[in-house]
Amino acid sequence: MPNAVELSGLTKAYGALLAVDHISFRVPEGEIFGFLGPNGAGKTTTIRMLTGLVTPTEGTAKIFGLDIQNEAKEAKRCMGIVWEESNVYPELSAWENLAFAGEIYHVAKKRRETRAHELLEMFGLLARKEDKVGGFSKGMKRRVAISMALINSPRLLFLDEPTSGLDVQSNMMIRDVIRNENRKGTTVFLTTHNIEEANQMCDRVAIINRGKIVAIDSPENLRKTIKSAQSIEVSFYGTGEPSEGELRMIQSVSRVISSGGKFRLFTDDPPVALEGLWDYARKRGLRIMGVNTLGPTLEEVYVSLTSSAEVGRRS
Amino acid sequence: MDQCARRLMFLEELEAAWAIAKKDIKIYYLKAPTLMFAILFPFAMFFAFAVGREVPLNTLIPGLVSITVFFSASSIGPSALPLERRIKAYDRLVSAPISPYTVIIGKVLSGAIFGLIIGSLILAASLPIFGMQLSNLLGLLLGLVLASLCFSMLGIMLAMLPRENPGDVMLLLNFIRLPLIFISGIFIKVDALPYWGQAVSAFSPLTYANDLMRLAFEGTSAFSPLLSTAVLVGFSAAFLYVGRRIDMRTRG
Repeated sequence: MPNAVELSGLTKAYGALLAVDHISFRVPEGEIFGFLGPNGAGKTTTIRMLTGLVTPTEGTAKIFGLDIQNEAKEAKRCMGIVWEESNVYPELSAWENLAFAGEIYHVAKKRRETRAHELLEMFGLLARKEDKVGGFSKGMKRRVAISMALINSPRLLFLDEPTSGLDVQSNMMIRDVIRNENRKGTTVFLTTHNIEEANQMCDRVAIINRGKIVAIDSPENLRKTIKSAQSIEVSFYGTGEPSEGELRMIQSVSRVISSGGKFRLFTDDPPVALEGLWDYARKRGLRIMGVNTLGPTLEEVYVSLTSSAEVGRRS
Repeated sequence: MDQCARRLMFLEELEAAWAIAKKDIKIYYLKAPTLMFAILFPFAMFFAFAVGREVPLNTLIPGLVSITVFFSASSIGPSALPLERRIKAYDRLVSAPISPYTVIIGKVLSGAIFGLIIGSLILAASLPIFGMQLSNLLGLLLGLVLASLCFSMLGIMLAMLPRENPGDVMLLLNFIRLPLIFISGIFIKVDALPYWGQAVSAFSPLTYANDLMRLAFEGTSAFSPLLSTAVLVGFSAAFLYVGRRIDMRTRG
């Protein structure tokens, strides 16, 4: 079975600036794939190349084995795209927007009417289908944009910041629909700034920084790569008052943060730090009320990878 | 690819072009910049230069039809494309599984239909009001259809420049349109222009569109209808080609 997305040495240069620098990776069919990176890292340029909007300077991009440059129309037929801005037509009704998307994606009239009805119902917009989209809230416009991207029942769905700046209800609804579409077999290529969203939704994530891929793996495996961001969260009770300075002296503890009556001890060796913690509590007459060992969050992994790449580049 | 598949693909492209045209008709025909630049502007220009002068009606009316078709057909693209670029709706068109030429043809159709409607309305009003007679129906049909397509394509070509404000494109378009109306036989017949004026007028598509209109009303024309037809088709193809090149270069 061909990969849903396959990039090989994909590069885009604007003059002397390498916006995307020889990136290569594959996204198997059926995966929810997260594409993360800071602003200006090359995410949007990559998506624009993958969707045929921009011509690569070097390298190839294939969608289900179809070259996006040489077999553009066939490749584009497999896709649905949701851009960062909800590029709906405000002067048209929700129904007209979906009908138009169906027409330019060559969806037969009967099929597009059934699908439009189904999508508007799924997104809770059926009662407003004849209303002009210009009067819709940001969340509703985004739901219309996603419906337009799904009108051709794509095998691959590109989502560029789908939930950015939306209310909680819209976010939840959109994430549910994305998961449902994925369960039905749609591959999802998701760009997001929301690391928690990527953590919850993605099977794998790639982190791009300054045009290069700095990591690509499952969120779980990525978390394991950063040992220094492991931590122990502890709360005490007793007569003594623990201090951050004393806790910092425990073997293998590199940093301590206190908040809300709890202390978070960062360590690259949690068992050694735990032993030191018990000794410290006993000596100070403190009783440990609760203790949790925490792995690094994906956000910490992201910050670590993007900042170390930055340091590496500067040095 | 067999012939049947090719035919199916061609039909799909036609349907997509028509969908784009229909969408533009719904959205842009009644927008303020369209109405101002496509209808009010040519009328104002026409009356400013024609009223009070001893110009025969059979010269004036073809000129009025030509100028309104010229302005109306060329205004839709510059109204629509920058706005669509601003809201990123143009990206939707370019990333759809259709040829880039289909997008352009769809846009051209919406401008051309607008030009045809406005031109036909002027005609329908002029004939009974001024008691004008048509001398050559074929000249009229050729003139209206080819001029609408050619001028719409001119507007689209300029709208392919990466601008997000319709005013920017309109400004550039007017920089071209305004001089053309003075050298294309609208107010002064081409053969009455000085030699250099006649030479320059040969490079204006409006000259040939207006000549076909004169053929329709007066029954005589400066150029052969075949030549005017060929030149208008040639200009349209050149505008299409340049527009596509601009689009390719500016999108990266």
